[in-house]
Amino acid sequence: MSLPYLKEAIQNNDSEKLIRYVRLHFGDGNEEAGRKEIDKSWIEALKLLVDSPPTDREFILNTLETKDPETLAHLYFHLHFHLIKESGEWIHDGNL
Amino acid sequence: MTEIFKQKQLRPEIWSTVNERYPGSMITKEDYVPLSHLTKPLSESKLTFVSTSGVQPVGTMPFDTVHPIGDYTYRKIPSHLKPPELEIHQLKYPTIGANQDINVIFPIERLQELAEEGIIGSLTENLFSFIGYNMDPDKLEHQLAEDIADAVVKDHADIALLSPA
Repeated sequence: MSLPYLKEAIQNNDSEKLIRYVRLHFGDGNEEAGRKEIDKSWIEALKLLVDSPPTDREFILNTLETKDPETLAHLYFHLHFHLIKESGEWIHDGNL
Repeated sequence: MTEIFKQKQLRPEIWSTVNERYPGSMITKEDYVPLSHLTKPLSESKLTFVSTSGVQPVGTMPFDTVHPIGDYTYRKIPSHLKPPELEIHQLKYPTIGANQDINVIFPIERLQELAEEGIIGSLTENLFSFIGYNMDPDKLEHQLAEDIADAVVKDHADIALLSPA
């Protein structure tokens, strides 16, 4: 799914196409796998916070306030893959 | 068309798979680009290698494998390096074999041997690598490809060996 397709979807406010792009990216071209990967990363994030461990809120707030939106969006993608990797269920080995 | 192009494709489904998964991402060319002919014997020619394998020297900035649009940078890989000095930052292709012997995806030792044996004249100072997940065909063609082409010319390559991962 190319950038022109993505830009067209943004222009038309076509949410279905946009989220399909994200799913295909996270699922290495497999939309259903990508959907599961998104769920998995949120579950991993949730599991880490269930016991309300101490977290570095100063770092979080400082990052959100001082970094540009593009870097934060990029970080969001990094966090997804980071959480997936930490889960131990890594599908991104090209064997889909 | 020569006989070799009539051979059965090993993975005939691959193009339909690519088009289904990444519609619009293929670069299609209508214009004919003639191949350049070698002007000197192979044994006197300087060869470079350009690969989409995501191989890079250990310690260099990892390729951005998470960006939704792709990474349009490339890495120079000094051609004298040995496999332990290289690592792979790439998703979407199996790297199990390559992590055991990087030559299966980035045959740097085989190329070094070709130079040592005099089959080719020499290798360029650097070989080149980037990642294949690039969803902006224009940027791929007009930025990344041209950047690599410039670097290849600066390294005085007579021949370029291109290999997708």
